[in-house]
Amino acid sequence: MSHETSGGPTPPLASSFFLGREQLAGLSLIGFGLFALYASADLPFFTQGGVGSGLMPRSLAVLIVFLGIVQLVLTWRQPAESTGRWPIRDMMPVLIGIFLFAVTIRGFDFGAFRIPVLGMLVATPLSIICSGLAAKDVRPVELTIFAITLTAICIGLFRYALAQPLPVAPWLIGY
Amino acid sequence: MMDVFYNLGLGFAVALTLKNVFFCFVGCLIGTLVGVLPGVGPVATISILLPVTLALDPTGALIMLAGIYYGAQYGGSTTAILVNIPGEATAVVTAIDGHEMAKQGKAGVALGLAAIGSFIAGTIATIVIAALGVPMTKMGLLFGPTEYFSLMVMGLVFAVVLAHGSLTKAVAMILVGVLLSCVGADMETGRERMSFGLHMLTDGIEFVVLAMGIFGFAEIFKNLADPEKRDLVKGSIGRLWPTLRELRENIGAILRGTGIGAILGVLPGNGAILGPFASYAAEKRISKRPQDFGKGVPQAVSGPESANNAGAQTSFIPLLTLGLPPNAVMALMVGAMMIQGIVPGPQVIDRNPELFWGLIASMWIGNLMLVIINLPLIGLWVKLLSVPYRLLFPAIVAFCCIGLFSISNDAAQVMMAGVLGLVGFALYKLQFEAAPLALGFVLGRLLEEKLRQALIISDGSMMTFVSSPLSAFLLAIGAVALCFAVLPSIRKSREDVFKDA
Repeated sequence: MSHETSGGPTPPLASSFFLGREQLAGLSLIGFGLFALYASADLPFFTQGGVGSGLMPRSLAVLIVFLGIVQLVLTWRQPAESTGRWPIRDMMPVLIGIFLFAVTIRGFDFGAFRIPVLGMLVATPLSIICSGLAAKDVRPVELTIFAITLTAICIGLFRYALAQPLPVAPWLIGY
Repeated sequence: MMDVFYNLGLGFAVALTLKNVFFCFVGCLIGTLVGVLPGVGPVATISILLPVTLALDPTGALIMLAGIYYGAQYGGSTTAILVNIPGEATAVVTAIDGHEMAKQGKAGVALGLAAIGSFIAGTIATIVIAALGVPMTKMGLLFGPTEYFSLMVMGLVFAVVLAHGSLTKAVAMILVGVLLSCVGADMETGRERMSFGLHMLTDGIEFVVLAMGIFGFAEIFKNLADPEKRDLVKGSIGRLWPTLRELRENIGAILRGTGIGAILGVLPGNGAILGPFASYAAEKRISKRPQDFGKGVPQAVSGPESANNAGAQTSFIPLLTLGLPPNAVMALMVGAMMIQGIVPGPQVIDRNPELFWGLIASMWIGNLMLVIINLPLIGLWVKLLSVPYRLLFPAIVAFCCIGLFSISNDAAQVMMAGVLGLVGFALYKLQFEAAPLALGFVLGRLLEEKLRQALIISDGSMMTFVSSPLSAFLLAIGAVALCFAVLPSIRKSREDVFKDA
């Protein structure tokens, strides 16, 4: 689907000081490749038996850096096209929803305090309600009712119908 | 030739048992459901259901998962025609003329032609798989590590050629995918690579986590950032069954679409997605009234719809005969086979004939079921489409979280997928395609394994890849394809296939 939304021309940036999408793409490739080189620096290229565990990662990293440079060179003179909006704030509720699910489903130890095993009964509605707040046309009551219904369906489906060993609510019913 | 019928007979005997018919039905039903709902794809669904299949027998599990994949192709067209947004990436083209037809009150005919075209395509593709199964397997048995490595390199080159947009970016995405597959314990020495001592990276990045991150969550971020306009057709759908005359006018497009889709589906990477585009371009080129395309031409619906269904099915060929997954869904199928203790490859046809032929036969049965599920029950699917996105995406988040957690009962995987979702969003913003990355990741481990084996056999000499005639031949094809892709004239026509649509 990306070619539908991304195919159209995006307006050039007002100032040429900012990097355009294509140049940014090249720089990210170089950055990623260098990071991979750093991460695989301790791996041997060759061993006595033949190929070492570093051959693939390190040669790939070098190639990626090279492609990043090619991308930069090819697009350096192109007008800088904007990448459009990065509405991270609109996306935050979804990320927090995922995070809340992760820390509540089987508990999590933060060091300073720990979350007990709350299970599906808490984690599922929490993630639904929190991520649902990301919608611009959110209706809180509808969302809450929906979350409760869907939680019941999920527990019925995954725990009972499909017999997955997921914690439901150990603090309430013991499993 | 007789062997094919004998084998298909065995297949039908397996697929027609009550249990397997039931699994096939469940798969097709779930497939249609996720196909109809935009934003939930077969990749996420199969990932979620993967742990569940552990309790089933291998044949039933694969029949169900396959049903989800080709069922989604059927369901995707319903959304494309009625709402003008593709339910699946493969239905992008269908939305163009299909929705126009719907606006003219011919939604029913568009849906009917799509379903009949898909059924014909499914029938032919089933025969193609059955006919190619044995010879391809025999070829696969001739392959040593050297040849396998070269075959995969050739496949990845094809994936680049078939990807749209910048070649540099497509190559880079494949390499990034292969690189990511190297994370985790070295398969020979057990030494940890690039894991930074993180526990969740010790066994490498789970494919399901990567797929749900860069396809599932990233899709939600994408929709929140740039909402798609929904435009559900109100009013009646009209008659579903096309007249005999309409059928006659479309049968050419259906057969051409089937042919194009079947060939492209075997190729790795974008093959299955490119099929509908290529079919649309072909129909437009041979049409007497190309200027009408985009205004509701039936052939522009029946052709591409046949192509995507044929492609979805023939993409099973490399997996079943050579053990090489050509796309993300097939990679999940590898996972499904592995947890059942079946190693995909040319030996499957001999060791598990009931699985091999049962799966193929079930595809035809599934296609028949899909026509029945889709046409008379169309009202039900339309109702489903009125579920607003503000409720749909929280539900997807919850399902994905549960699915991610149940991979290994590890909450870290859920968080990692969330972070990968952001990465996927950045890729979308920088116009990198995620599909080549997933393919590189899928083939990465196999690629390294075969490279190492080949170099051990050859005592470390790289010459082994050109001194083996078969391997040299495969690499040469890849090199030629790459040269063609770089040539300006071919590049232009490659872009045109997408531009036309």
